[in-house]
Amino acid sequence: MAAEKKLSYEAARDELAEIVESLEDGSASLEESLKLWERGEELAKICQEWLDGAKAKLDAAKKPAQ
Amino acid sequence: MFETSSENPAPVRVVTEAIKEYVDRLGPIWIEGEISELNERSGGMAFMRLRDTSSDMSLSVMCYKTVLAPVSPLPANARVVIHAKPSWFTKNGSLTMSAKEIRQVGVGELLARLEALKEKLATEGLFSSDRKVDLPRLPRKVGLICGRNTDAEKDVVENARRRWPAVQFEIREVTVQGAAAVVEVSAALTELEADSEVDVIIITRGGGSFEDLLPFSDESLIRLAAECVTPIVSAIGHEKDAPLLDLVADYRASTPTDAAKRVVPDIAQEIADIEKIRERIYRRLMATIDFESNQIAQLRNRPVMRDPFVMVTTRLEELKGLRDRSHRGFSSLIEVEKKAIKGVRDHLRSLSPQSTMDRGYSVVQLSDGSIVRDATKLKAGTSLRIRAAKGETTATVDV
Repeated sequence: MAAEKKLSYEAARDELAEIVESLEDGSASLEESLKLWERGEELAKICQEWLDGAKAKLDAAKKPAQ
Repeated sequence: MFETSSENPAPVRVVTEAIKEYVDRLGPIWIEGEISELNERSGGMAFMRLRDTSSDMSLSVMCYKTVLAPVSPLPANARVVIHAKPSWFTKNGSLTMSAKEIRQVGVGELLARLEALKEKLATEGLFSSDRKVDLPRLPRKVGLICGRNTDAEKDVVENARRRWPAVQFEIREVTVQGAAAVVEVSAALTELEADSEVDVIIITRGGGSFEDLLPFSDESLIRLAAECVTPIVSAIGHEKDAPLLDLVADYRASTPTDAAKRVVPDIAQEIADIEKIRERIYRRLMATIDFESNQIAQLRNRPVMRDPFVMVTTRLEELKGLRDRSHRGFSSLIEVEKKAIKGVRDHLRSLSPQSTMDRGYSVVQLSDGSIVRDATKLKAGTSLRIRAAKGETTATVDV
């Protein structure tokens, strides 16, 4: 997971979008689909963490200015 | 003129008399300059100093008061043209110009000359806009050339400090009127131009008479200002005064206060601007984050992600369908087989001897199962099996 942190937001988001597409496509085997879904959840979490972190930083920077 | 040596020197009287003789032979000439000192002594004589208008050089002039009378009273720093002859005073060895006539150079004449100079310098391109350089946004040091203890100086310094408290000045207090002004302002300008920390130079003085402001239209000063790499702000006199320095300066300030506003930014305004920019950055980034959050939420809300059981349930349904189909397939196969078997059995039944036996016939078989068709060939003692319509029994041949 620590290595995953290094994934940029854009890379994570794009991969997530690809995974969702291939899951919707439905051509993957069950085993593959499960793996894809797990990876998708992981990526969604990474994206969320990036966005939450960015928002927190912005809020922190804004407070002392006001 | 004299044959002299260290052993045979000439006495002072001989030398000064000789100079006098030489000077006396010189005729009268017309000289233009500016009167800077004027002493009218008792005894009918007046003494004055005639200064050059751009260089630090002067001549001593004397005349009868009657010569001065037509132009009296002369304004301060009056421009005059005198008709004078040099005189040598043997008593103290000084040379003085004896004026026979003094004429003031009129404002009209000065204006005409100024106009001509303006034209000339403009033709040379000294005032052209592509020579102007931008003033620095925040200078390290501001050079200030002004009169001693003047309002102009105070206005610049106070207003600049109010706008930007940390402003640093390099101030040169100089003579700002009269012939000495050109020399002193030029010297100060050269000095400030050479100071690498001075990023902008203000030349200022308050309002004054036309003559007072003439030094700021002096050709040598204008050319020097044009050569300066450091941006120059001029704030000379009032709005209506238009000394040539205004034209050559990179920025012409209407007042010393205006000059102060131009050379330093307003700290309050700067802070407010930075705050605005920060606010814009914040809003922009927030919008980006919101947009991206929405993208991620949409991806997470897609059925495949929100309800991953679909992955299993669709396959379960598929499986159930297949089982049903297989079940149904198998059942119909059994039906077919059942029917086939019934048919066969019916056929079998139609071939069966039962019905014959039901009518009272019996079948006699030997122990090996073979049917007895010829009773004459039977031997005594042979075991027989007799099958009736219902049940069977055994018997033994008697004969």
